[in-house]
Amino acid sequence: MVRFLIFLLFSSWAIISAVGVITFTNPVYVILWLLSALIAIAGIFFTAGAELVGALQLLIYAVAIAVFYVFVLTAVPWEKALKKGTHYRAEGILSFPLILLLYAEMLIVFLLGVTASPEGKFRSLMAKLGNTEVVGSILFTKYFFAFEVVSLVLLIGMIGAVLIGRKESQTYENDTP
Amino acid sequence: MEGVVAGLIVITIKILVILAIALGVGAFLTWVERKVAAHIQRRPGPMVVGWHGLLQPIADGLKLITKEDLFPGRGNRFLYNLAIVLALVPATLVFALIPFGPEFEVLGITVKPILTDVNVAILLVFGLGSLAVYAIALAGWASNSKYPLIGSMRKAGIIISYEVAITFAVMGPLILGGTLSTYQLVQNQIEQNLWYVWVQPIAFVVYMFSLLAETGRVPFDIQEAEAELVTGFTVEYGGMKFGIFPLVEWYIEVLTLSAIAVVLFFGGWSPINIPFVGFVDPLFFLGPLSPYVWFLLKVTFLFLFILWLHWTLPRYRIDQITEIAWKVMLPLALINIVLTAIIAPLIWR
Repeated sequence: MVRFLIFLLFSSWAIISAVGVITFTNPVYVILWLLSALIAIAGIFFTAGAELVGALQLLIYAVAIAVFYVFVLTAVPWEKALKKGTHYRAEGILSFPLILLLYAEMLIVFLLGVTASPEGKFRSLMAKLGNTEVVGSILFTKYFFAFEVVSLVLLIGMIGAVLIGRKESQTYENDTP
Repeated sequence: MEGVVAGLIVITIKILVILAIALGVGAFLTWVERKVAAHIQRRPGPMVVGWHGLLQPIADGLKLITKEDLFPGRGNRFLYNLAIVLALVPATLVFALIPFGPEFEVLGITVKPILTDVNVAILLVFGLGSLAVYAIALAGWASNSKYPLIGSMRKAGIIISYEVAITFAVMGPLILGGTLSTYQLVQNQIEQNLWYVWVQPIAFVVYMFSLLAETGRVPFDIQEAEAELVTGFTVEYGGMKFGIFPLVEWYIEVLTLSAIAVVLFFGGWSPINIPFVGFVDPLFFLGPLSPYVWFLLKVTFLFLFILWLHWTLPRYRIDQITEIAWKVMLPLALINIVLTAIIAPLIWR
């Protein structure tokens, strides 16, 4: 009962924050609403008993990712931040059917997932080990291949970033005195 | 029902004690710092208010609270005030995850001297610790002035760089302890008869560097570099609103991170350790109080060590700071993880 009430609190907090993200025009406020939504989602994970995912949500999304938005936005001059222009109205209307399609897909995946999920398969494992240990052991046994592929994708992304960000060893424009 | 009431009372007492420590001791540490700094520089420091200036923090607090509240003309008042809250709250929350001693029994109730013993405590510590970036970035932006903005950008860059290094540095002790809970980490060190600092010296050095960088202590206090930036992102703040930032950065964060360092590397409340043999307790005559005294002693020692560094060293340049983070500290931390993974089975046994 208490857990349900706390869940309601966090989920309404998350929804209100999400509405805030799309209604406010000042980009700094938008980032703060996004931060608030991410923290609320971490709270939902904690109430569901998934401490590891909640803590990672806080550490990775709320801090590591959202902070880069703040980093960029604090460099935005005031006049630009407070400008109220059109926010791509026509594109918004055009993309509406696409969003509906996306929602339909999420709904189907969710409904299929409920029937296909291994009911109570991990529960005995969870009772024996802790939350974190179970995630680790499943990740490194059952889903090991997927895990390695994801790390390969990240490695490629990192190499790309290093390539873009590197200093040229020689510049060609400066040949003429 | 009685269990629930007792639990609530215990939690309330814990919260009050932690808030008293965070805010009371935090303010009093300003006096400690001024005294230590003064004696390092061969001068007496505050001497006028009270015995050896002991009441100086109260006088300072009164002065700061009664000052006029100034606000930059075209700043954003909401974000300006929000930055203070965002600085204070996450830093204080970290105290909830610090174990002060072993569990004991009072009136038939078993009490753990830690507010929440979650099993992902270490992750939460660093998550909450890096939420400080928001306070700094917002304070710089909302002030609508160039010195705060430059200061906040510098500080945010430093925190982002060193957050990576510190997270990898604590992996070593976590591998050896096999848990993320702060309470359990200390228990494991006592069971294994080993302070992790003996086998994790590299991780400890990286941790100390990152601690100094994240709390803005010298040699990493480039964000406030008085000669260039006046006082960095706090330029436009006045009175107690200004006072909160140094209080949080220099005292509360240093205290919490020192306490976490004690938990990770120095076996929390355990007495002096001889590696793999056992513990020697010269304070045995204190009986059941001795673990708490040991914990306090270790945190105090680390805090004084940080003060010593602060008032001795000159400051790095900003490019040197980020270079140290990415080119020295991060590779060191990664090498340390590999080494730890090799020696870990010896310690688990």
